[in-house]
Amino acid sequence: MTLAELDKLQADSLMEVANAADAETLEKVRIRYLGRNGVVPAIMKQMKEVAAADRPVFGKNVNQWRKEIETAIAAKGTEVSKAPSNKVLFDCSLPGRWHTPGARHPVSRVIEESAAIFARLGFSVADGPDIENRFNNFTALNTPAHHPSMDESDTFWMGGDQLLRTQTSPVQIRMMTSHKPPVRIITPGRTYRRDTTDATHSANFHQIEGLYVDTEPVSLADLKATLAYYAREMMGSEAGVRFRPHFFPFTEPSVEVDFSCHVCRGQGCRVCKMSGWIEIAGAGMVDPRVYEFVGYDPAKVFGFAFGFGVERIAMIKYGIPDIRWLYENDVRFLAQMR
Amino acid sequence: MKVPISWLNDYIEISDLSVRELADRLTFSGVEVESIDEVGARLDDNFVVGRVVSAVAHENSDHLSVCIVSDGTAEFQVVCGAPNVCAGIMVPFARVGAVIPGGGFKIKRARLRGVDSHGMICSAAELCLAEESDGIMIFDESVCAGTPLRELLPPPETVLDLEITWNRSDCLSIIGIAREFAALLDRPLKLPSVDFVESDAPVDALARIKVEAPDLCPRYTARVLRGVRDGVSPLWMRRRLEMCGVRAISLTVDVTNYVMLETGQPLHAFDLSRLAGQSIFVRRATEGEKIKTLDGIERELNSEMLVIADAERAVAVAGVMGGEESEINREGSEDVLLESALFDAASVKFTASKLGLATESCRRFERGVDPDLADFASRRATALLVEHAGAQVAQGMVDCDSRNFSNTCIELSFERVRQIMGVALSDDEMLRILESLSVYVEERSSERALCVVPSWRLDLTLEADLIEEIARLYGLDKVPSALPRTAAVSTLDDSFFYHRGRCRELLLGLGFTEAMHYSFLSAKELDAFDKRNVSGRAVIPNPVSADYGVLRDSLLPQMAASLGRNASRQVESAALFEIGRVFRRDDQGAIHEDERVALGIMGPRGRAAIDRRRPVTDEEAVLWLKGAVEALTDALHAGELTFKLSEHPAMERGWCADIILNGECIGCVGLLAAALRHHWRMSLPMPLAELRLAPLLSGVDKIAVIEPIPAYPAIKRDVAFISDSSVTHHDVLECIHAAAPEELTKIELFDIFVSKEIGKGRRSLGYTLSFRSTKRTLTDQEVNESFVKIVRTLKEKLKVDIRDS
Ligand SMILES: [Zn+2]
Repeated sequence: MTLAELDKLQADSLMEVANAADAETLEKVRIRYLGRNGVVPAIMKQMKEVAAADRPVFGKNVNQWRKEIETAIAAKGTEVSKAPSNKVLFDCSLPGRWHTPGARHPVSRVIEESAAIFARLGFSVADGPDIENRFNNFTALNTPAHHPSMDESDTFWMGGDQLLRTQTSPVQIRMMTSHKPPVRIITPGRTYRRDTTDATHSANFHQIEGLYVDTEPVSLADLKATLAYYAREMMGSEAGVRFRPHFFPFTEPSVEVDFSCHVCRGQGCRVCKMSGWIEIAGAGMVDPRVYEFVGYDPAKVFGFAFGFGVERIAMIKYGIPDIRWLYENDVRFLAQMR
Repeated sequence: MKVPISWLNDYIEISDLSVRELADRLTFSGVEVESIDEVGARLDDNFVVGRVVSAVAHENSDHLSVCIVSDGTAEFQVVCGAPNVCAGIMVPFARVGAVIPGGGFKIKRARLRGVDSHGMICSAAELCLAEESDGIMIFDESVCAGTPLRELLPPPETVLDLEITWNRSDCLSIIGIAREFAALLDRPLKLPSVDFVESDAPVDALARIKVEAPDLCPRYTARVLRGVRDGVSPLWMRRRLEMCGVRAISLTVDVTNYVMLETGQPLHAFDLSRLAGQSIFVRRATEGEKIKTLDGIERELNSEMLVIADAERAVAVAGVMGGEESEINREGSEDVLLESALFDAASVKFTASKLGLATESCRRFERGVDPDLADFASRRATALLVEHAGAQVAQGMVDCDSRNFSNTCIELSFERVRQIMGVALSDDEMLRILESLSVYVEERSSERALCVVPSWRLDLTLEADLIEEIARLYGLDKVPSALPRTAAVSTLDDSFFYHRGRCRELLLGLGFTEAMHYSFLSAKELDAFDKRNVSGRAVIPNPVSADYGVLRDSLLPQMAASLGRNASRQVESAALFEIGRVFRRDDQGAIHEDERVALGIMGPRGRAAIDRRRPVTDEEAVLWLKGAVEALTDALHAGELTFKLSEHPAMERGWCADIILNGECIGCVGLLAAALRHHWRMSLPMPLAELRLAPLLSGVDKIAVIEPIPAYPAIKRDVAFISDSSVTHHDVLECIHAAAPEELTKIELFDIFVSKEIGKGRRSLGYTLSFRSTKRTLTDQEVNESFVKIVRTLKEKLKVDIRDS
């Protein structure tokens, strides 16, 4: 075989690769040239028949040719495989086979998200028992002696001085009696009130309260900013807050806090009863009488406190119409919280 | 509290402000307007006075009448269902085309049981003049047929329904609200007239008063009014009472109620002739003393309750409710003793709640009545009775006054106000606000002011209270939102919260969904699970219902119930967990709490999605949950975990094991007893587990120490054998380990099955043994030698039959 013949063969082979219409033809071409008994190995075996002077060039050309065919087949192969084919190897519409993770309970989700938001403002999480005493739950929180919240009809008294806490504020009392200011905490936890269960009431519910007491001045303006930050982080960047004066025994001044409605962005809708605002929290500057109860000097400390219902936030944020859904544990409801 | 705007306007000029504006001003200064109600309605021209010309019974009905009604120009046939319709009366008449207020329907020509009806004769309710009415409204005969009703009936009124916070007892009156507006709008307050002429007869000669319990009644005043002509109150007064939700009864009673709503001072009128000895004793009741209160119920009193008594018996429960026997009789003219007193708040609250009474009077006393108000209110009521009932007022007033009252003085630091509000408010502005609330400044320096609080503001006792007043009247919307300027780090330890969160996160990753149950449930539900320690249960003395009567001492009953409920709702499978507290009462009665984790699986949850038809075996179900517990403890670095067969009343016998962590039992895992499972008609086994949380979290902070990745390859050998079912996996592991060299690094169970061929009571087990050295590559030969020794030991010690592979 001469170098010219080799050139011709080389050109033909590349043409054949280029013309192969499908993977099957291409494979035939590959076998014809590169297979064990293919043209290229055969030519290699015929090397000794080539003129001695041509041999080095011939050998080099054959090797180069092999590489070219291989490259061409590989390139063509990708091209051919992209061509439509009726043969399905992978029914990608079949259901996948891996287990799904579980879903966090909406109440836990709100608590964990809230803890993360307040952590960014330097608040730690504090905890206390569900079973509290009169001092922590009422007295130290400056509840007036005849306030109806202490009645048997409102509070679960558990014998003696024990009761199921009606708010998580007793944790604030525990923290203040055991720590010097500054105290900057949120207190998520379970609370109990003797309410008859309906769509918006539950005798067993959760609260998050916050407390910031310092020896530096802390003002209503700081409170407003803290809750405004929380509103934005929790309900979306456009959420705003509004204060309305109110009364709580443990704060003075006391305010009720509205968040602007995240559904209509303040325009008025069914969720916010057309007001553009949703009542979320109670808050205020800590009443000096509370400081006296926990052993702080009322003249030397400043502080604010706030509190809101976890279920209420969950219901508003996720559009849950009935508080009972949160305790029914129907997995078709719970699974949606993934 | 309901406040008609027209009434408010008697004391403060507010007619130039819209209702919306008034409501917003109140709401944003601390008195929340819950709703704005319209009372009465705008009536169109088709509502006129009609004269009933004739009324005859309907032929086809026993309660309908067919009437001819004249509107002055034309006559209409109208079918009417009211029992009080008769010929000759003047009635409100809605002609065809009139739109009934409230409901909004339009009067059309109608045919009622075969008779045409052209219009409607209206009741007070249909005209939105009353909540309900018994029949049609009847005018007196002086009105003319055809007069538009608009001209005769009171115009529609707007009533604000207010939520008065606990501290603001001063706002439980129309004048109290007017005072708020006076401060908010900086306008003068106009108080009503309390002038009247007294007769010559001195009051002391007509009635004797003795306060025997001055601790519970710091002040008791009485006036005597003679010749009171009781009867129906004027329409405006009845209407105002009704708008405030108080039923009109008779002039004397209505006046006392009217003045209470107006001023906030509860009053009581006694029929003087029915007071034995014409005397009043304010004393504690005798134990078991009885009184029939105005509501007609006989009530038994005790010695802690304060009563108003005459010479013989209790005639009223002080501050709560009057007695029937001294009630003002509506007929005729009589002598009235008008009580205006100050009773102790705690005492009134105690008595009212003991007797189960919640009257407008006790609502005010409980929360605190202005200690200076008794005389003013008494005068006001007297003036009204003189004007409307022709009363002759005895000279003077009996006044048993043992009050120890002086106005509260509070020192206010101007700087403190600015610090707390976060607003640079001037000293003058602060004092201007306080003075608008009748808080007077007695002394003032450059730094502070000494402020005197008016008698009705019982809630203002500290500097903080004054700061609140300044803040709410200044306007909370004007308080800026400062960027938090606090240190970003709190040094308090809150790792418990994040550790619990880590446990939750792992369980979610393991495919368990978080459930949450009430802390209480019924004793019955707990009994069904575990009756071993009933005496240690924390029973709730005043539960909402028996279904929530006991604090839970285990999370399992509710977990099983929720899984069962899901199954009964056609949910195929579910894996749930709960992290929650349980409660136990000790012998001393103290309640202790502990936090636990419960896990449960319902249905073929551990199977691949397309392998769910095959029945789930008891063993695989319980092993799913065991696997989850193992994965959880492992990921939490909780320590060494083992399981030990045990028993639990709620678990199927033989299918329960204690969970032992680092040698300590922290809970159990098992299959719910079939009897309990069948409650939800579940055929599949339901594995449940409950663990204490604290030990699980004890190692969560442990830092992993990394071992090097193996440098030399492992050589694996499989062994499969048939053994007696009593040979446990644990037995096999022990046996292999005992015979193996230290290079045996791993033993894995790869197969387990039972079959007919193998025979009853026997099972086939297959293990892969991995040998590996940390120092060199092992040779086949040395591994084979070890393997042969292991197989021989298994045969000898555990009597297994080796299967050929
Ligand atoms: Zn909205």
